[in-house]
Amino acid sequence: MNPDIAQRILSQATLDASGPFLALALGVLVLVFLELLPALAALRQIVFLGSLAAAAWAATRTLFGPEIAAFEGTYVANSTTSWWALLFVASALIAWIFGRRYYRDEARFEGEHDILLLTAASGMVLMAGSRDLLVFFVGLETLSVPLYALSGFRRARRESVEAGLKYFVLGAFAAAIYLMGAALLYAGTGTIALAGFQERSELLETPLALTGLALIAASLFFKISVFPFHLWVPDVYQGAPSPVTTFMATGTKAAAFAFLLPLSFALPPESAGLVAAIALITMAAGNLGALVQTDMKRLLAYSGVAHAGTMLLALAGMHADPESGGASQAVLFYMAAYTFTAGGAFGLLTMLETQGGRPVTIDGLRGLARQRPGVAAALALFMLSLGGIPATGGFLGKYLVFSVAVRADMIAAAVVGVLISVVALGYYLRIIVAMYMQPEDATRPVPAESRPLSSAMALACAAMVLVLGVLPGWFLANVR
Amino acid sequence: MADALFYVMAVAAVLAALGVVLAKNPMQCVLSLLASFFALAVIYLLAGFQFLAAAQILVYAGAILVLFLFTIMLLNLGNPGSEDPTDVRMFSRANAGLMVVVAAALLFVAALGVRRAGPLPVAASTPKTGLDPIPALAGEMFGRYLLPFEAISVLLLATAVAVVVLAKRDRRPNEGGRT
Repeated sequence: MNPDIAQRILSQATLDASGPFLALALGVLVLVFLELLPALAALRQIVFLGSLAAAAWAATRTLFGPEIAAFEGTYVANSTTSWWALLFVASALIAWIFGRRYYRDEARFEGEHDILLLTAASGMVLMAGSRDLLVFFVGLETLSVPLYALSGFRRARRESVEAGLKYFVLGAFAAAIYLMGAALLYAGTGTIALAGFQERSELLETPLALTGLALIAASLFFKISVFPFHLWVPDVYQGAPSPVTTFMATGTKAAAFAFLLPLSFALPPESAGLVAAIALITMAAGNLGALVQTDMKRLLAYSGVAHAGTMLLALAGMHADPESGGASQAVLFYMAAYTFTAGGAFGLLTMLETQGGRPVTIDGLRGLARQRPGVAAALALFMLSLGGIPATGGFLGKYLVFSVAVRADMIAAAVVGVLISVVALGYYLRIIVAMYMQPEDATRPVPAESRPLSSAMALACAAMVLVLGVLPGWFLANVR
Repeated sequence: MADALFYVMAVAAVLAALGVVLAKNPMQCVLSLLASFFALAVIYLLAGFQFLAAAQILVYAGAILVLFLFTIMLLNLGNPGSEDPTDVRMFSRANAGLMVVVAAALLFVAALGVRRAGPLPVAASTPKTGLDPIPALAGEMFGRYLLPFEAISVLLLATAVAVVVLAKRDRRPNEGGRT
């Protein structure tokens, strides 16, 4: 190896910056190795959890320090990317714990499941830290390819295979659009590094670069599922195995936003109105779609679309007035609250689905409060947080996002956004009413087994939702 | 001369790509893909990227297409079988056709705008040496882009695992009927 390159690239700082990614990648390699011998299978859970713990530890090392730019600035680690990495670890952990004993027919593939989940998490970490279109694309594929397989994981079930196929075809299409955009952007500016765009910002105004930016934005909008690229969400979220849906709803969205925030300076300021309009239409489409659903997973999928729209509003605000600040904090906080809320809600649905042996509908939740008060209370809390009721993390997230929009003088957009959010309460409250005020569903089977690990995870999610809502001071002081 | 060759190869690549999508016989699809790869390799060569052209021929035309051919011959996919029961309404011809037309129209408008804007700024900002001399390529790959390079190796490993999950033969009877 050229000693000159080695000296330039490899250093303690580089290792610190890429620590979370390396921990997860190493975990993947060890897990693959463990599959060699059946006797080693017992170590699988330890390696999986150890890898996540190591990644979390590596992320905390850069949590409060100064920004480290590694690999000639193509990959950075700072406070924000470390918070994102912690969020991805939490998301993977939630999906993994709720997925225990969920796959009965596919139990043989448990090892493969863990490998794919960990690979996807490593891709998310790479996406959040990337400051270069190439690095981001590799991260995006490292996230997406395992998710395609995980969506079709229950291959004995038609809807799962269908979800995997749809997600794969549309995802490959989005990846092609991204590459086309990156190529045009390179042709227009001569660079693919975000720092390079900043230096040559005058070249970003050329039609070629603008087309490239539009294509890249479209593919990212596909990943965060905003209008008009949200049509795949209900089908894929409903068909995919529930733990995978949990991971997709929380992790994928977070990773795409983590890159959209640093990239958004490149978009021309005049597009702020367009982004705000897309955000509001997305909120409306998601909430109106959710109103008429009866299947809980489908309902939460539409609700996820609406939440993506809300976060996009913060981005529009940042765009309209880059000086106002706070957008990054608002999106990060909103996403943290959403991860624990939606993670817990999807997780409880997974639990009910495993125990009942069928998809959960709103009718199927009737009278749950009498049969299982703990589950009903937690689910009600998650619904209130999704709806943005005060004293929950969801409320504060919405407050931060709308205040970014107000500070950027987009008062009309903020008001419309708040009004659309109120519509959402209609279907969230419907679920609570079904659980607490309607007669019991007599056909609902009594759970044959308790799931202590899943229950503990649901409790932890509920606790996080309350902590983020009631005692957010520490987070707001440290998250920037 | 080089310009004329570029246009011939560009048209050939697009026509071959259309052939991949439109041909009914899988074998014709694969051969069209081969033609498309070759045309693309010539374009790379014209742009001065010798290594990329060689890699395109060796890896795509050489290795991957041979795998495709083997698969098709082994599975005897000559004639399309019964209808796949998967719900593909989203990908119906009318929808796909509409999307292609819209995308082509958008790209056309963009291309018109680009033409009006005059010479590309990239010409001024690309390094004259290009990426192509192999030491320079290696320097980038194992220097600035070392991390994605490592990530790609993990990704390939995970892809192999994913294939096992999706395609491994299931010996036990199952309730749903596999699609």
